[in-house]
Amino acid sequence: MSLIAAGIIASFTVPEYIGTNPQSTFWLLPLVAAIAVIYKATKLPTITAGKFAREAVVLFGSIIVFIVITALALHALAWLITE
Amino acid sequence: MARRRQENHATSLLMVAAAGWLLPGAGYFLLGEKKRAIIIFVTVILTLCTGLYIGSIGVINFVGPAALYVKATQIMNPPVVLILGRHTASGAYPVHGWPNEIGQIYTMTSGLLNLLCIVNAVYLAHLRGTAQH
Repeated sequence: MSLIAAGIIASFTVPEYIGTNPQSTFWLLPLVAAIAVIYKATKLPTITAGKFAREAVVLFGSIIVFIVITALALHALAWLITE
Repeated sequence: MARRRQENHATSLLMVAAAGWLLPGAGYFLLGEKKRAIIIFVTVILTLCTGLYIGSIGVINFVGPAALYVKATQIMNPPVVLILGRHTASGAYPVHGWPNEIGQIYTMTSGLLNLLCIVNAVYLAHLRGTAQH
């Protein structure tokens, strides 16, 4: 087995470092992208490259916007409660 | 005649479901939806691999302290997770904290997305089967 292959496999045996900082919330983005892509792949009657990409991007953006709004609302609620 | 048709229909639905579990997107491939199959395969496998990369294979642990719903959703992934579960059952791949959380979320989500695709493929097969008859 080549060194590169061994290195790739070895990277799956040790967890990555994820800091407890605001940047760690960006780990949400690939997940939302996967959900948007799978949902559109199951829902569209026919798959064409342009339409599929556009619909998936719109859904991705919608989910992100909704999450941001929810986060702001919860942050405001927490601020009100703790003030 | 009608009974045999029903049995064949049920068998084909089971085959679509089993294929979809064994290989993400294979259910759609059996139905002739090649583009859908490829998109689903790439996305589910990438999501699963991302979760395994972040948290290591230790996030797949069917004998560990994780909640039952975590294990149940991880099993929805292709059977390779069962092989990984055998390796991690010894406790040789401990993972805690944020990597464990995020790794579990990714692997659970890939399992649930695969389940969604299996159910959708079976439904599509059922609609096509009933439309033919």
